[in-house]
Amino acid sequence: MDLSLSTDGSSKKKVLIASCIFMGLGHILYLKQFVKGIVLAAIEVIFLLSSKTVLQMLNDMIHLSNGYERLATFRLIDGIIALCILVLFVMIYVISIKSALEGYNEFCLEGRTKSNKESIQGLFGKAFPIIALSPTVILVVFFVIVPLVFSITTGFTNWSKPDHLAKAFGTNIDWVGFSNYKDMFFGGDTEWTGSFAGVAVWTVCWGFLATFTCYFGGTILAAFLYEAKLKVTPVFRAILILPYAIPSILTVSVWKNLLNESYGPINKTLRQLGIISSNIPWLNDSKLAKVVCILVNMWVGVPYFMLLITGQMTAISADVYEAARIDGATGIQTFMYITLPLVLYQTVPLIIMSFTHNINNFGAIYFLTGGNPSTAKSTVTGAGATDILVTWIYKLTMNDMQYCKAAVLAMLVFIVLAPFAIFNFINTKSFKEGEL
Amino acid sequence: MEDKAKNASTKRTVFKVFVCVVLTICSLVVLYPIIYTISTAFSPLMTDANSNIIPFADGFSTLQFERLFLDEDYLLWVKNTLFLAICTCLLSVVVCSLSAYVFSRFKFAMRKGMMISMLVLQVFPSFVGMIAIYVIINRIGAADQLWGLVLVYVSGNIPYNTWLVKSYLDTIPKSLDEAARIDGANHMKIFFSVIFPIAKPIIIFLAITTFTGPWMDYIFPKMILSTSEHYTLAIGIMRFIESTTNKFTLFAAGAILVSVPFVIFFVAGQKAMTTGLGAAAVKG
Repeated sequence: MDLSLSTDGSSKKKVLIASCIFMGLGHILYLKQFVKGIVLAAIEVIFLLSSKTVLQMLNDMIHLSNGYERLATFRLIDGIIALCILVLFVMIYVISIKSALEGYNEFCLEGRTKSNKESIQGLFGKAFPIIALSPTVILVVFFVIVPLVFSITTGFTNWSKPDHLAKAFGTNIDWVGFSNYKDMFFGGDTEWTGSFAGVAVWTVCWGFLATFTCYFGGTILAAFLYEAKLKVTPVFRAILILPYAIPSILTVSVWKNLLNESYGPINKTLRQLGIISSNIPWLNDSKLAKVVCILVNMWVGVPYFMLLITGQMTAISADVYEAARIDGATGIQTFMYITLPLVLYQTVPLIIMSFTHNINNFGAIYFLTGGNPSTAKSTVTGAGATDILVTWIYKLTMNDMQYCKAAVLAMLVFIVLAPFAIFNFINTKSFKEGEL
Repeated sequence: MEDKAKNASTKRTVFKVFVCVVLTICSLVVLYPIIYTISTAFSPLMTDANSNIIPFADGFSTLQFERLFLDEDYLLWVKNTLFLAICTCLLSVVVCSLSAYVFSRFKFAMRKGMMISMLVLQVFPSFVGMIAIYVIINRIGAADQLWGLVLVYVSGNIPYNTWLVKSYLDTIPKSLDEAARIDGANHMKIFFSVIFPIAKPIIIFLAITTFTGPWMDYIFPKMILSTSEHYTLAIGIMRFIESTTNKFTLFAAGAILVSVPFVIFFVAGQKAMTTGLGAAAVKG
């Protein structure tokens, strides 16, 4: 076997084959980079030694329902981790082959192999990014990627109460293909499809209404504060900003208490003032509860827009107003044709951002109504009249233990929201100024 | 001519009065729940079910605060939350700025692939993987542990924050660290003595957002923490109104204690945050 290399590029095949046969072999045999080669070879040895466990884990995941000794959810998560290890190994393999070929190219150019000292130095230089990135990679893989894959796979199992829970002995979880998707979206189960349609329509309505009420409420307040130029403006502004400063989880919970049908202070006050004779079911009537959700969300959300739009208004150059005044525009005309269009134009990305935020606004619904009042379908599906998708997912996971259905919904939310979210991010300064 | 001017000035006065009325009504609507909460927090009643509709009419006492500190684990919750916030903040700053530095300054295999996957991953709302995170936390024995929650928070905000810091570092000229390298400094030293000081504004912004994030988060602590000694403030306070017995007076006292630092922080940091937000968020 000829271990020497020719500089004309004809030995490329030799290096490639050696690198493919065993990781690091090309480095050791031909490029004489022993340290790097041994490290790479050691990685492959470790992988081969653990390959039995990895394959076992994968097998356990594929045959989810076999065997009673381990919880199926642990089998699922172990299988996904094994899959990640496999992918990682393949990537390292590809990189090692690439690095061997690069090493050979360098050899062709310089006509000699790198000395050991040089290659060790190079290794230390390259070690920094690897060490610095490893916490990020590990954390992202285990707490972002694995959960994501787990969610996707859960949607294809029957993991749910009452018959398919991991804790119950002898009740196994198994793959069921697309049946959850069919039940949820295509009328496979009329209860689920009906609940989904109701929740989806309300989620979209909620997203639009919550965004526009807050936006226009904020614009009007900002305009009043800006145009009227009262002496007490700072006092009003300080008061109106308060809901933004206090955590919304607390204020929404206070509203829930205020609006309680039987003992809430609002009903009590109205009754004692003689305005109403019987209590108003603020949160217990499905139509009224939806209106109340939007009103309370206005209380929480308007100050944010007021703040933003005030900022935009003060940023408009005084020259523009000066020009308008000289042309004889009245105050209302100036506002309608100059201030408002300029502000609107500047805040369009914010409206989209706010829309995606509201679609996912767990707190505004969950802490106020908890998704209630319940509907005819609630006993089976758990979806109440004011539930939006995220609160429904939360309740399906935490209360009803319908994990497979929750996973299907989570996937839908992601697919629908991803384009918006990417749009938002592409619009940020950090994306525009940075390079890939 | 005089008539017209007079007319305009009357119009102006009418407008001002109208605005005043609207703003007063809005302010009352804003203040009503806040005043009600404050009055409940200082009420001597055990529950607000039979409270007077006029604020502070039930009398004034610090009973609720005494109950909070003596009968409940309130101080423990503050300590837990503080621990959580500090750990999340420190770890996020170190991990995100290190990886941002690597992405900004090094060329290596899969760099682009990793950056794009970060971009895609920061799109997922965290609750998508909620149940899986719960299983993983159980798997590694971090159930009911604060450090498990720290891991969840830190890893959840890595993708977005890495991008944020990286794009800031991209604006710092590379000649600076090259000069340091010629002087014989290694990467670690360059990072801490050259990059870190220059990137201060974005690091401070990162520190503030990661520090304030855990204070009022509900979903993950609720899922992971199960004993009162390990609760965070949000879970502890929310439990008062989630249980079947209404403890709204206690909730009000706890909410006031939490809100006061938030409002002070907001007023003090408003300017700093808006500039930081400007850098991070949508281009104005």
